Amino acid sequence: MNGADLVMKVLEQHGVDSIFGYPGGAIMPIYDAIYHSPIKHYLCRHEQGGAFSAIGYARSSGKVGVCLATSGPGATNLITSLADAMLDSVPMVAITGQVPQAVMGTDAFQEIDVLGLSLSVTKHSVLVEDIQQLEATLHEAFRIAQSGRPGPVLVDIPKNIQVAEVSAALHEVQRHTTNDLETVEPHTLTQARQLIAAAKQPIAYIGGGVHMADAIAELQQFLTASSMPSVTTLKAMGSVAKDDPYYLGMLGMHGTQAANLAVQQCDLLICLGARFDDRVTGKLDTFAAGAKVIHIDIDPAEINKLRQPDCAMLGDMKQILPAISTATACQPWLEHCQQLKQQHGWRYDHPGERIYAPLLLKQLSERMPDNSVVCCDVGQHQMWVAQHMRFDHPRNHLSSGGLGTMGFGLPAAIGAKLARPHDTVLAVSGDGSFMMNVQELGTIKRFRLPVKIVIIDNQRLGMVKQWQQLFFNERYSETDLSDNPDFVALAAAFAIPGHRISRKDEVADALEAMFTWQGPYLLHVCIDEKDNVWPLVPPGAANEQMITEHSS
Amino acid sequence: MNHVLTIQTRNQAVVLERLLQVTRYRGFQLAGLEMKPLAEHAGLLIILSVVTDKPIHLLTNQLNKLVDVEQLELASETLTALRA
Repeated sequence: MNGADLVMKVLEQHGVDSIFGYPGGAIMPIYDAIYHSPIKHYLCRHEQGGAFSAIGYARSSGKVGVCLATSGPGATNLITSLADAMLDSVPMVAITGQVPQAVMGTDAFQEIDVLGLSLSVTKHSVLVEDIQQLEATLHEAFRIAQSGRPGPVLVDIPKNIQVAEVSAALHEVQRHTTNDLETVEPHTLTQARQLIAAAKQPIAYIGGGVHMADAIAELQQFLTASSMPSVTTLKAMGSVAKDDPYYLGMLGMHGTQAANLAVQQCDLLICLGARFDDRVTGKLDTFAAGAKVIHIDIDPAEINKLRQPDCAMLGDMKQILPAISTATACQPWLEHCQQLKQQHGWRYDHPGERIYAPLLLKQLSERMPDNSVVCCDVGQHQMWVAQHMRFDHPRNHLSSGGLGTMGFGLPAAIGAKLARPHDTVLAVSGDGSFMMNVQELGTIKRFRLPVKIVIIDNQRLGMVKQWQQLFFNERYSETDLSDNPDFVALAAAFAIPGHRISRKDEVADALEAMFTWQGPYLLHVCIDEKDNVWPLVPPGAANEQMITEHSS
Repeated sequence: MNHVLTIQTRNQAVVLERLLQVTRYRGFQLAGLEMKPLAEHAGLLIILSVVTDKPIHLLTNQLNKLVDVEQLELASETLTALRA
């Protein structure tokens, strides 16, 4: 067989059933091998969309996402998605075709140094220079993508290597295990238990590292055994049981007031697979300033990067959480945090007929079937989703967290729907974000994917507009999108039915129509451009200095 | 502070770019660079000198994460000691 056949065989060995890509000259041998491969290829309409679908597939399933692109523009179109996967620690293998080795370095047609471009947006990247290296390189790509802190790996394969003959006898896949992770010293575990037992005001700050370690059950057992309030990052939403009375919601710039106030008041912050991101901490040196810190992570570079911990543990969250469980003695604190939660609960008593996005999203959350997957874009609607929708598992809430990439939601929903065909998948987008990968409606049409699309349309780049209003003296520079297309007509051009609503009394029937329709559907929701996301921690401020709708 | 990082890497053509990219991006100023192949193509020996006021673990932890880095040793001296 040739190198291209080998690529497909190795993907099969790793259990890959779906791949996302777009063909072109330098990857034609691999597309020829796809022609007779049992692996299903999903043709996207732009490589960025294909790679976001691979991310959606990976994040909703826990498997490795695989995407393909040709050399030159195909490869450069992957870069944003690779960066997104890098910053959100998504296991992905990207395969690019490269011009033949004989012309590499000559500025050949569609030649670009994608290996050089990939350095800052991948966990690892390789140019295959010898057909004899191809199989081992692909196996290693899968191992690296999944091991430790997951991330994207790019494998660039010159065309002559794709057509070179190679032995048909493949090596067996070496399954990745967690046995090679560092073991935490017993005295460190003891120190952690002592800190937890002694704390009067402990709080768990939960990040995406928990579910990526498959440690949701262990987390929930820990929170039961070591009763304490908890807050989550954007990526970790759904980690804590919905009925946990001490779960305070998302923290950070648009977090709940209860979450931010409690974290600022705590005396012990237990950071679980999170990274003290600036959108979480606000002004860093004021973040939980009076607290001791326990930090558990799998990535040594996150320990002491932004906050020096009093107790650090590097290793497998699944093993560490049971080992540090211990009874707490903080009943007054628990009651205080419950009071904060009650005192600062969301209000949905919005006046007038116009649709209030937080209320709409609450209704959507209550109406959507159990285990639905919600894929967001980036902006105001993204924060409203995080604030007003409820999730059973972080794999049910896919949001571009680290990179904050507009255009993520629609293609991610395609990948999620293919990974989990029996679950309802929604793309909740803003009118700005939706247009950034709108071409993927063509992919939905081609494969008749029953993705439900909800566009929250304020005819603005809402989050930027909100900052212009608050911090740039209402100079609304280039944020007016009042010339948006007719989204329902646009969907109809792709054989996707849709409906437009603008009044509260239309919402219930519209949601019913969307969910009962068997195929893809687009719900265009018009909202008031004056509605903003509250609360908000101003840039450079401490988290307790958040401003609310009535204090702004 | 002046820090000298002695790094043993896999024999990969792109490895030097990786080290330099991480060093620049993480905000460390390069003060010197040496590279030589190890015997029998076993890898590369790279000596990076950097000057910084930041804690050096912010760089070494990132460099240690690179798949191609096999071993990293650190020697540090204060600038004043170095100039003396």
